Amino acid sequence: MWRASDMLMSETSRNARFVSEFACHEEAIRAYVRRLIPSRSDCDDILQEVAMVLWEKFDEFHEGGNFRSWAFGFARYKVLSWIRDNGRSRLVLDSDVVALIADESVEEDSYLEMQRLAFRSCFEKLPSHQRSLMANAYRPDMKIQEVAAESGRSTAGFYQWLYRMRQMLLECVQRQLASEANP
Amino acid sequence: MSNDQKFQQNVQDYLEGRATPEQFLQLNEQLRSDPAARRAFREMLNLDSALMETTKEIPRETVEAEAAYHEESCPRTELEPQQQQVSASTIAKSGNRAWGSLILLIAASLLVVVGMLTWFAESPEFAIVEYAAGAQGLSAGMTLGAESHFIQTGTVQLVTRRGTRIVIEAPALFYFESAQRLQLKHGRLAADVPLEAHGFTVITPTGQAIDLGTKFGVDMPEAGEAEIHVFQGEVVAQSIEGGNLQNLRDSQAFRLQSAVGTPSSFRSGAFIQPGEVDSLSAALQAGQPKRSQLALQELRDDPNLIALLDFEDGQKQPGKYRSVQGRWPGSQAAEFVNVGDHMKLDVGGERLWSQLTLAAWVRLDHLGEPYHSLLHTDGWEDTKKGQVHWMVTRLTTMRLALRDNKLAPDERPNEGFPDSQTSVLPEQGRWVHLAAVYDADKKTVRFYFNGQFDSESRLSQAFPARLGPAQIGNWNTNDRTLSGRIDEMLILGRTMSDAEMEHLFAAGNPYR
Repeated sequence: MWRASDMLMSETSRNARFVSEFACHEEAIRAYVRRLIPSRSDCDDILQEVAMVLWEKFDEFHEGGNFRSWAFGFARYKVLSWIRDNGRSRLVLDSDVVALIADESVEEDSYLEMQRLAFRSCFEKLPSHQRSLMANAYRPDMKIQEVAAESGRSTAGFYQWLYRMRQMLLECVQRQLASEANP
Repeated sequence: MSNDQKFQQNVQDYLEGRATPEQFLQLNEQLRSDPAARRAFREMLNLDSALMETTKEIPRETVEAEAAYHEESCPRTELEPQQQQVSASTIAKSGNRAWGSLILLIAASLLVVVGMLTWFAESPEFAIVEYAAGAQGLSAGMTLGAESHFIQTGTVQLVTRRGTRIVIEAPALFYFESAQRLQLKHGRLAADVPLEAHGFTVITPTGQAIDLGTKFGVDMPEAGEAEIHVFQGEVVAQSIEGGNLQNLRDSQAFRLQSAVGTPSSFRSGAFIQPGEVDSLSAALQAGQPKRSQLALQELRDDPNLIALLDFEDGQKQPGKYRSVQGRWPGSQAAEFVNVGDHMKLDVGGERLWSQLTLAAWVRLDHLGEPYHSLLHTDGWEDTKKGQVHWMVTRLTTMRLALRDNKLAPDERPNEGFPDSQTSVLPEQGRWVHLAAVYDADKKTVRFYFNGQFDSESRLSQAFPARLGPAQIGNWNTNDRTLSGRIDEMLILGRTMSDAEMEHLFAAGNPYR
């Protein structure tokens, strides 16, 4: 039944509701996009575009619905158009492969979220200098050569170090989740 | 290099933006054809994304101290789960920021020692599982540290080191930051906090609740905003992004929205309380779900069955309501929260039913609305004699009203409609079984609570029952919100006997 108060409510709280929904799922949406896009900076750009579309279309989102899967739908579309538009000038994965990973990502969403949560405690267990070194390597404005130099390593050596750190973190995450599944 | 190593190297180079066209070719081929490779790829990219998130929060620091760094100072064992309290490393992080590179230098030289100490440290144990009713991965006696837990089904009761009792209902994703801080990413919990644990805090994606001596509940849906409900005592609620602190007292509820929050209607019954989980768990162990299934099968074979809504067939009935856990772990029920929430139903056709049994498992969140609709056929028109309205009234009685029926002259008036004698209130906050049996030939309405006969109302005028388009949880021309959940609604075109009703309740009862 239509009620004037509902209408007023939706007008005044739209902004707050959107911000709240988006904040709640931003990390998951970024991770979703990241799984499909080769570079971190492109991932951030696409996420911004996705946020804009979600904001524009938010009136079509039904309260009580699943914001995350609604958002994944738009993100998938944005990513595939980006792949199509950039496929000639940049190295990207084939769009059928990206679509496969996108679909399977949705099915595995809860597990992947658990991985990110487990990652947090694994990362916290690293010595602080290793954490800050990784943070520097992930800073968008930092050149990897400079981070490598600061760490006293060659660039190639630093890439190897990053490789090993990621493998180690991933193993920690997998161990943690396995121990939770089999108490 | 083995195939696996090559794949790993390709993924790492892809992550760094260093992959060559040949590597892309190999990645495409392997990802296209190998599900295990896709899984490994997703997990590594997921980790990369988590690193993006987490490292953003770390301020830029020079790493001069890294000259003292050797890879060997970070043995793999340091990354074993549960070796170090998250809070401890957080303090170390902020300490580094405050004291600068001098401390970093000292810290770096101490890292090996700290690593060893960490390795030998006891695992932090923040809480223990008291009862688990159908919650996969958690069982009574298990201790919980800082690791995250996702329960898809069931209900679990935990007690923290300081004695806070917490009941968490699936689906839920949560982890302890410490015995006093619980992160609830989504799910529904009720907490009973003793004096020693004052300050116990539940943190959700849209805000937090800090206890000041209390029993309270937090409802964090997968999509939307957290709600804090205070059953008793006092809680401070704060929305994210610096929202004002809001003091909540007995029977108050608050929705934690971004920056500002809004008062919300109090729904004490929406939470499974400490003390309820053991009887839910006992019923599971006694094989109640199976008995319930068999009883439902008998009903499905009943030639007089008009409708049986158990919400388990995956087909969502039209309407506006939430799907939540039903009486059994992982089962489904419909929840009505906001004014106007409803489920549409169209059964019984044009046919007139001289006998009718209505029964449902109901979990009422609170009473006090003028009417809580269990089932209201659309409209209330002169031309539709016998149309059915079934509800809980403001007097907390159950009512079965049929259009143009009249009470016998010697009946208690009750606003002119057949009402139960017993109040629905005593069982508030737990699943109750409500039923009404109508017989137009005998001119009687009989009410049942939890399988027990309550009372009979006699009529002087009784039309056959008329169903058709209807709403559960609301009425089409008025808001008659049913604040709560409905599981397993039965509409039968015959009367049920007392013995049958008792059997129906006993077979479907989720408690022992």
